[in-house]
Amino acid sequence: MSQSIASARGAFGSLSRLESRQFQRFLSTAQTSPARRPTPACLSKSQAQARQPLIQRRFKYKTVEEAKSRYRSGPFSWKAGLLFVVTGAGLLWYFEHEKERMQRKRVADATKGVGRPKVGGPFELVDQNGNTVTDRDLKGKYSLVYFGFTHCPDICPEELDKMARMFDLVEAERPGVLLPVFVTCDPARDGPKVLKEYLSEFHPKFIGLTGTYDQIKAMCKAYRVYFSTPSEVKPGQDYLVDHSIYFYLMDPEGDFVEALGRQHSPGQAAKVILDHVKDWKGPLKTD
Amino acid sequence: MGLFGLTQSEDDKRATEVRTGAVAPLRAERQKCWMTRDGYFACLDANNIVDALKDEKKAASACKIESAAFERDCATQWVTYFKKWRVQDIQKKARLKELEAQGANRLDVQTDFKPR
Repeated sequence: MSQSIASARGAFGSLSRLESRQFQRFLSTAQTSPARRPTPACLSKSQAQARQPLIQRRFKYKTVEEAKSRYRSGPFSWKAGLLFVVTGAGLLWYFEHEKERMQRKRVADATKGVGRPKVGGPFELVDQNGNTVTDRDLKGKYSLVYFGFTHCPDICPEELDKMARMFDLVEAERPGVLLPVFVTCDPARDGPKVLKEYLSEFHPKFIGLTGTYDQIKAMCKAYRVYFSTPSEVKPGQDYLVDHSIYFYLMDPEGDFVEALGRQHSPGQAAKVILDHVKDWKGPLKTD
Repeated sequence: MGLFGLTQSEDDKRATEVRTGAVAPLRAERQKCWMTRDGYFACLDANNIVDALKDEKKAASACKIESAAFERDCATQWVTYFKKWRVQDIQKKARLKELEAQGANRLDVQTDFKPR
């Protein structure tokens, strides 16, 4: 009797355990695939194992606190935030960079092609060593052209000092791509010898150009430079010359790129020049 | 004495040439000229003289030493030019001040002699 009770208890116990297991399975299958009818009897071991990772993935947090904190913060983490900021900053930089490049291209292309105002052109002058220099000698490199005269009281010497500084800044980064050119508006007094002495005080690499009155007049006209040198000067007469005070940046094909003025510091001007040099796709001499 | 006299006269000759505009002043000569110019302008400022060409007598009596130095170290053409420039600069600054008082926007244009 007692044995039968024990067996009955055992059977009941095993039954209740089976029931609870079935119930558990039922719950789990209902959660993972509610469409499928629960058939606990047919559940093979392999199926149960196949479902195992799915069940485990639902509980990838080790502790409840971890899960809760994940739930609270949602999909935002410091990693996601960093990625967002870096991507945003990168895109912003790229767009700004491209915008600036397009603006420079527009400035550089404004004087190319048909129907554009033409600054610069063919010329034939003499440098401070007495050699003939033409527009062809300036091609293949960028050139920075400045007009002035040696008797200039204030602006030209300052601007020439500035030109020397910006030339050095450009040379430091891209040696040999820029020719600094000084053209006198006062050919009657500024011969090659005077120019040589004058320019040697500013920079040894400056090219000083002079010529006859008519040659200089043609040069100034080509560069749209205003100047007021009297054509007939009595010997011993002192005079000053009014003239335009821009630096003309010319590209390696001899086309005008941009005018740099008093508002640019040497650093700013050098940056403008270097940016244009970087944009240049054609051949560029550096010797 | 002979050598000293010779160099002295060489310097004098050069200074005269610079004054008359026969040669272009070199860097050191320009610096000297600008220094005496600034001294002369400071004297004019102290005496409230705007146009040194118009108020010639007043300027000559008030800034006798400075004026002599200015005329000694600068080309005659430069002296006239700088005096005219000063009048224009004062007018320009006054006009700018006036415009600024009216709320005009300032553009970055340099008008003084300071290098940048």
